[in-house]
Amino acid sequence: MALDDLGRIVGEANFTKNPAALQEYCEGKGGCVPRALVRPASTEEVQRIVEWANDTRALLVPVSSGPPHIHGGSTPSVEGAVVVDLRRMDKVIRVDKNNRVVIVQPGVTFGHLQTELARQGLSAYLPLLPRPTKSVLASVLEREPILMPSVHFDSTDPLLCAEIVFGTGDRMRTGEAAGPDTLEEQWEIGKAQISPFGPTQMDPQRLVSGAQGTIGIVTWVSLKCRQRSDEARAFFLPSEDLDALVELSYHLCRIRYTGTILLLDRVNLARMAQRTPREIHGLQCALPNWVLFVAYEGYGLLPEEKLKYLEEDLRESASSYGLEPVTDLAGLPGEALYRLLLGPSSQPYWKLRSHGGFRDVFFITTQDKTPYFAKRMRKLARRFGFPTQQLGMYMQPVVQGTSCHLEFNLYFDPTDLTGVKRLRRLEAAAVDRLEREGAFFARPYPGWAEAAYRGYPDTAAMQRKVKAIFDPNWVLNPGKLCFPPGSGRQD
Amino acid sequence: MALSEEEHKVLEGIVGPQYITRDPIIMESYCQVWGNKLEFGDKWHRPPAAVLLPGNVEEIQAIVKFCNQAGILFKPFARGFEYVATYLASSRGILLELKRLNRILEIDPKNQHAVVEPFVPVYQLQDAAGKLGFYVGKPGVGYSASCVSLACCHQEMTISQLYTSGYGRNVLGCEWVLPTGDILNLGTANRKGGWFTGDGPGFSLRGILRGRAGANGGHGIITKCSVKLYPWYAKAPSECELKREPGQALSAAQLEKVPDNYWVDVLTFPDTERMLQAARDIGQAEIACLVAPAYMNTGFHEEGNDEQWAKLKESPPDLGKFARMMPVIVNGHSSRELEYRRKAVRAAMEKWGGWLEPEWNTEKVKAQIFQYQMWSTGVPGLRATGDFMLSTQGADGSVEMQLAYRPVEFQALQPFAAAGNVLHPNMGMSYRPMEHFSLGCSGGIATDFDPWDPASLAAGKEYLEIVYDPHGPCRRFGYANRGAMMQVEDVNHIHERWGPIYDRADRWLQKVRNMLDPNRVADWSAYIPPEYQERPDEERHACC
Amino acid sequence: MTWQDFIHDMQRCTRCSYCKYIPWRLIRNFRFSEGCPSAARYHWHAYAAGGKFNLAYSLLQGAIDINDSLLEVVYKCLMDGSCDIACKVQQDLEPLQHMQEFRVECVARGYLLPQHQPYLRSLRAEDNMLLRRREERGYWAEGLEVKRVTSDKAEVVFFAGCRYSYDQDLWPVARAAVHLLQRAGVDVGILGADEACCAGRAYELGYEGELMKFAEHQRDTLATVARTAGVHTLVTACSDCYSTFKVLYDKIGKKSDVEVCHITQYLERLIQEGRLRPRKSLDLNITYHDPCHLGRLGEPWIHWQGREYKPVGTQIWLHDPPKRFRRGTHGVYEPPRNVLKSIPGLELVEMYRTREYAWCCGAGGGVIDAYPDFAQWTAAERLEEAHEVGAEAIVSACPWCKRNFLDTAAITKDRIGIFDLVELVERAVGGSE
Repeated sequence: MALDDLGRIVGEANFTKNPAALQEYCEGKGGCVPRALVRPASTEEVQRIVEWANDTRALLVPVSSGPPHIHGGSTPSVEGAVVVDLRRMDKVIRVDKNNRVVIVQPGVTFGHLQTELARQGLSAYLPLLPRPTKSVLASVLEREPILMPSVHFDSTDPLLCAEIVFGTGDRMRTGEAAGPDTLEEQWEIGKAQISPFGPTQMDPQRLVSGAQGTIGIVTWVSLKCRQRSDEARAFFLPSEDLDALVELSYHLCRIRYTGTILLLDRVNLARMAQRTPREIHGLQCALPNWVLFVAYEGYGLLPEEKLKYLEEDLRESASSYGLEPVTDLAGLPGEALYRLLLGPSSQPYWKLRSHGGFRDVFFITTQDKTPYFAKRMRKLARRFGFPTQQLGMYMQPVVQGTSCHLEFNLYFDPTDLTGVKRLRRLEAAAVDRLEREGAFFARPYPGWAEAAYRGYPDTAAMQRKVKAIFDPNWVLNPGKLCFPPGSGRQD
Repeated sequence: MALSEEEHKVLEGIVGPQYITRDPIIMESYCQVWGNKLEFGDKWHRPPAAVLLPGNVEEIQAIVKFCNQAGILFKPFARGFEYVATYLASSRGILLELKRLNRILEIDPKNQHAVVEPFVPVYQLQDAAGKLGFYVGKPGVGYSASCVSLACCHQEMTISQLYTSGYGRNVLGCEWVLPTGDILNLGTANRKGGWFTGDGPGFSLRGILRGRAGANGGHGIITKCSVKLYPWYAKAPSECELKREPGQALSAAQLEKVPDNYWVDVLTFPDTERMLQAARDIGQAEIACLVAPAYMNTGFHEEGNDEQWAKLKESPPDLGKFARMMPVIVNGHSSRELEYRRKAVRAAMEKWGGWLEPEWNTEKVKAQIFQYQMWSTGVPGLRATGDFMLSTQGADGSVEMQLAYRPVEFQALQPFAAAGNVLHPNMGMSYRPMEHFSLGCSGGIATDFDPWDPASLAAGKEYLEIVYDPHGPCRRFGYANRGAMMQVEDVNHIHERWGPIYDRADRWLQKVRNMLDPNRVADWSAYIPPEYQERPDEERHACC
Repeated sequence: MTWQDFIHDMQRCTRCSYCKYIPWRLIRNFRFSEGCPSAARYHWHAYAAGGKFNLAYSLLQGAIDINDSLLEVVYKCLMDGSCDIACKVQQDLEPLQHMQEFRVECVARGYLLPQHQPYLRSLRAEDNMLLRRREERGYWAEGLEVKRVTSDKAEVVFFAGCRYSYDQDLWPVARAAVHLLQRAGVDVGILGADEACCAGRAYELGYEGELMKFAEHQRDTLATVARTAGVHTLVTACSDCYSTFKVLYDKIGKKSDVEVCHITQYLERLIQEGRLRPRKSLDLNITYHDPCHLGRLGEPWIHWQGREYKPVGTQIWLHDPPKRFRRGTHGVYEPPRNVLKSIPGLELVEMYRTREYAWCCGAGGGVIDAYPDFAQWTAAERLEEAHEVGAEAIVSACPWCKRNFLDTAAITKDRIGIFDLVELVERAVGGSE
C-alpha cells in the first residue's frame, strides 16, 4: 500500500505531501520534517490510518494543537513520519450541565470550549493561560496542571473517559463509556461518561495520559467541568519571603480551600498581565518578588455567604503567616487577572510577549522544595550568564497539594543566536542538575527524556512492555519518552 | 498438588522454618471464608500447598523468583477476609500472608501522604493520621482492611469517597514486586525526592496497576504504597471516649457528641430522585465530607439478632423512609466555614423538599452516625445470616443513570425478596457519591441471604445470574463493577462473558497479565486467566 | 452442647479475624491491639478462634482427623475468652464454648496432651492440680488463727484453691485475705486440708468428667458446711475458683445454694460498709490487670435452651426463646477498681486492654503447664503494656496471674512491682502479720 492510500481514507483535500504545509509540524525541539500530513475527521478514519500504518510500517505522529508546538511532544522525532492532524475533529460533542461533564474532540481549543460552556453557565478547569491554539484534549492528556488544587484529586484530572484508537487500530472506550452502546444510546439510559474507572482491573486512560501519543490516538475525551459564577473574588498575597507564601499555599491546600491557587514570581506575573515589553518591564519593576494568587467564585449554594466567609478565612489564614491579601497590586486588579485566567492567553501568547521566545523547564516536586529549586535555578542562570530578570517561575500545587508543578520560564530573544546557544546549554544543565537533586520530570519531552528516565530504568522497561501490547509495531510517535527511534520495531 | 521436599526446603530457606507451613491442619484454616458456599458450593475452596509469612521485600522477591523456576502458583494477601484473597486457581499454589509487613513507614503531614506496608489496617492509619490532623477515608469493609489492598489490589469503595475519593485514586506511588520477582517502583516511590506521585515519567503505570478494582493478588505483590491523606479536624478515634451505659455490651460504646468542627444532618426526601438531586447539589458545592444517600445500615445495630428483631417489632421502622434518608456530614477548618456549610446543606434540603426527621437528628443519633460513617467499622451486615450477597455494586455514573438502573436491579431482586429467600430490608439502593459528585456515584445493593438454606442459596445464585448475565437486563449498565471484582473468574467467567461487548477490555487485560507474568505463576483467579479454557457453550453462560 | 452443635457457628464464621484483636473501636494503641495471645504468638490463622471453627468444620466433614498437630493448635490456647468477646461485638457466635467442647471431644476420643497428664493424675489422686500431696493442702494456714468450718461455726468460708494452698510464695496473700476478713469482723472459716480442687482448670483442658465429679463434691461439701457450720457465703481470692464456682457449676447444673464471692467483691462490700478502712497512704502508680476468670469469664452463666429459627419472610437467624449471649459485660470489673481507688495515695492507671478485653496473663487453659514458654511470652507482653502506661506495679486478683508474672519477671529481669490486690489492701489497712 502506498502513502497515497491515505488520501482515499480521509479525502484528497485532507492529505498532503506539500513541504510548505508540513513545515509547521516540525517546529519545536528537534523536530523532523514529516513526509505527509493526513487530517482525519472521524474515529473510523483514525482507525483506518493506524491500520494502514501497521500494514506499511509507517510512523504516525498525532497532533491536536495548532502551532507553535513548544515542547516537542507532537513534533516528529524521526524522518519520514506521517502527521495525523486531528484538528478537523473539533466538536464539542456534548455539554451535560447537570453532571458538569463535557465531551470534546481533539481539535477543540480552550477558547472554543469556554464559549460553549459559558452558554450553560459552566467553565472548564484550565491550565495557566494556555496558548490560543492549544487543544483541550492534548492539554489534559499531557497532564497540564489545572489551577484549582482542591478539586485536583488525581493527576489525570479533569479527564474522565476517553475513546482511544490504540497502535493496533483497535478502538476502546474507557471508564463508563465502554460498552455495547453508542454515546447516544448511553445517554438514553442516563449515562454521562462521568465515571472514569476501568473498565475492570486496568485504567487505560492512564496509559494514554502523559504518553505523548505513543500508546494510542485519543479521539474524544469527557472532562469534568465546573459551575461558573460572575461573582468572584481575587487576591494577591505579595511577599519577598517565598517560604511564607509556600507555607500559606500548603495551608490552603490542606484545608482544601476552594478555587484558584498559584504562586508566581514577578517576571511571570508581569508577562501575564501586560502586553508590550515596555509595560511588562514597568510592571515587573513595580511588583514584589513573589505573589501567591488566590481567587474563587460564588458558585454553588448561598453564594454571597460563601464569598464572605472565604475572604474572612483567607485573611485570617494569611495573617498567621504574616501575609495580607490585597485586591490590587501595582495597579493590577486581582479580578482582572482572574478573568484572564478563565480563558486562553490572548495573542500574542503571554510567554512570547517580552522577548519573542521562551523555553520552559518544569517538573513535579513538593511545595517545600520550591525555594530551594528557585535558588538553584537562579544560580544556574547566573552561571550560564542568563539574565535572572528573564527567568520566570510558576508553582502550581497539584493533586490537592500533595505535590506541585514547578515551572521555570526562560525568556529570550530568538534572534540573538549567542543567547540562544547559551539558553540551550542552560536548559540542558538545568534538567540534568535539577533531576539529580530530586526534580521529577513526569512529562519528559524531547531533550529531557534521557535525564528524566535515567533514575527510572524499571519504569522505562515496563513502559516498553506496555507499548509492545498497545502499539506492537511501534507506529505511534517514535522517538518519544523511553522509546528511541527504531527500537522495538518488529520489521 | 503438594510441594516436593526440595521445593519446601528452598522456600523454608528463604523465610525460615517458623514462617512456613504446609501442615494440612493449618491449611484447613486458609480455605474457609464467607461467600465460599455461594461461589464454590461449599464452605471450602481449594487449600493452598503451603502458607508463608515473608518478612521483607527481599524474601518476597526470592519466593517469587523461585515460583518462576519451579512453576508454583503464588498469591499474596494481607488480611484474608474475602475469598478472593485466599482462593487459588491451582492446588500447586502457595499463599503469602503479609502480616509481618506491618509498619507505617512515614506520615508526611506537609505533603499529605502516608507510606504503609500491606498489613497496616486502615483503622490504624486513620488513628495515626488523625493524631496529626489527617484522615484516610472510611472503607465500606471493616476496620481491619489493609490500606495497601484497598488502594492497589482490591476495590476501595469508600463511604466517604465524596471527599476522600477511592477506587485507587489516592495512590501516590508504590513498590511492586512483579510476578517475575523484579521490582517496579511507580512514580517517585523509593526515589530520593519522596513518595509524592505515582505517575510517570511519561504515561502512568497506575493504568496497569488497577482499574475500578485491583488484580486481587493476581499480578504480583505491592509491598509499600503511598496514599493521600485528607484534612481531619477532630481527635483521632483512639483519643475519643466512647461511652456506654452500665450493663451495656461493648458494641454499644459510642461517641456522645459530634466533634466540634463537624456537623451532621440526616435529611429525608419525598423520593429517591429528589434525594439524589440534593446529594448532587451538595456534592457539587464542594461543602460536604460525607453524603450517603440511603446508606444508614451500619449505624443501627443492636447487640445481637434477637435484640435487633425485638427492636424492629417494638417500633417497626418505615423502611421506605430509610431508602429516602441521607446523612450529610460537613466539616470546617473554621467556625465560619462550618456555619456556611451547615446552612448550605439546609438550603439544598429545602430546595429539594427535604426535611429533618426528629428521631434521626438527635445528638445521640448524629454522634452515632458520625462514628459509623466517618471511621472504620465492623461488618455487622454479616451477622444476620453469617453471609451476604455479593453486592452487585450496581453501576457507576450519574444521578440519571442511577435512577434508570434502580428499577432494573429491583426487578431482578424483587421475586427473591418477596419469597423471603433473600433479605433486603429497605429495597433501596444506597449510593456513594464520588469527589464532589464530579465522578458521579456508585450504587449498590447489599443483600443478606443464607447460604445454608437451599432456597436462599438458589435464590442468590439465580439473582446473581441475572445481574451477571451480559445478555440480561444489566447489559447496558456497566461491566466495570459486575460482582464488584469479587468474582472468581474460573467460576463465573465475568471477563470472558462481558469483555466482548465492552470494547474487548478483557483482551487487553489478558495481554497485560501475560506480559507481567510470562511464566504464569501469579494466581489469576480473581484477575483474569492467561487464556480462556475450552468449555461447552452451555457452561460458558453459567455464572455460579 | 457438644462441639457438633456449633455447626452453624462453624459455617457462619466469616474469617473477619476480629477474634485476633480486641474490639477495634476500643483500640487505643496499636502495639497493644491484639487480643488473642495464641494468634499473636503462633501467626497461623488456625490458632485463632476462627481457625478453630475451620478445623472443627473440617473434622466434622471428615476432611481431617485429630492428630498431634491439631492437638497442638487446640492446646496452645489460653482459653481466656478474648476472642469470644471481640467476636460478639459483631456476631452471634460462641467461639469460646466451641473451643471448650472441641477440647472435650479430643479428650473423649482419647487424644490427650501428654504434658497435661501428670496434672490430671495429681487431681485424681491428690485432689489438686499442682502435683502435691493432699495432706499438704492446709499448710498455708498453719499458725493462722482461723476457724475450720468442718468443725466450727462460721458464716463465711474462705476457699483458698490449689494455687494458694500449695504455692508457698503466695501464702501471704491467702493469709492476708483471711486476716482482712477477720479484721472486718467477718465470721470466717476455712476448709483447710479438707478443701479440694474446683476442677475448673481440668475442665478447660477438656476433662468434663472431672468437673462434674468435683462440682458434686464441692456442692455436697458446701451443703454440709452450710448445714453444720452455718456457712452462707464462699469467698475466694482465686479467680479461677471464682469462675468455676460461680459460672461453670451453674452451667453444668451443680450450682451450690451458698453465695459465691470473689475477695475483691467482698472487700468492696466491707469498705463500703465502713468495716475496713484503708487509711495508710501507698504512694504507688499501679495498673490493674483483669484476671480473665474474674472479668469476662466471671460473668454469670446464662442458661438457654431453645431452637434457632428464621422468622417468616426473612433470612435473619433468631432464637426461640430469644438468646442473651454472654458478652463479658457482667464480669467483675468495678469491685477491684473501687477497692484500689479507696486506698489513699494509689494512682490507678488503666492499660490499653482492660475489662472485657483485657490481655491474658498467660497462665490459662493449661498453657502454663504444657507450654511454659508461651505462658511467659504472654505475661511479658502484659508487663510491657503495664510499663507502657507508666505503671510502677501491676496488680491482679488471681494467684495464677501473680505466679506467672513473677516467674516471667524473674526471667526477663523485669523490676516492675507485682501485687495481688489483697496485699495492697492489707498494707493500706495496716497491721499485717
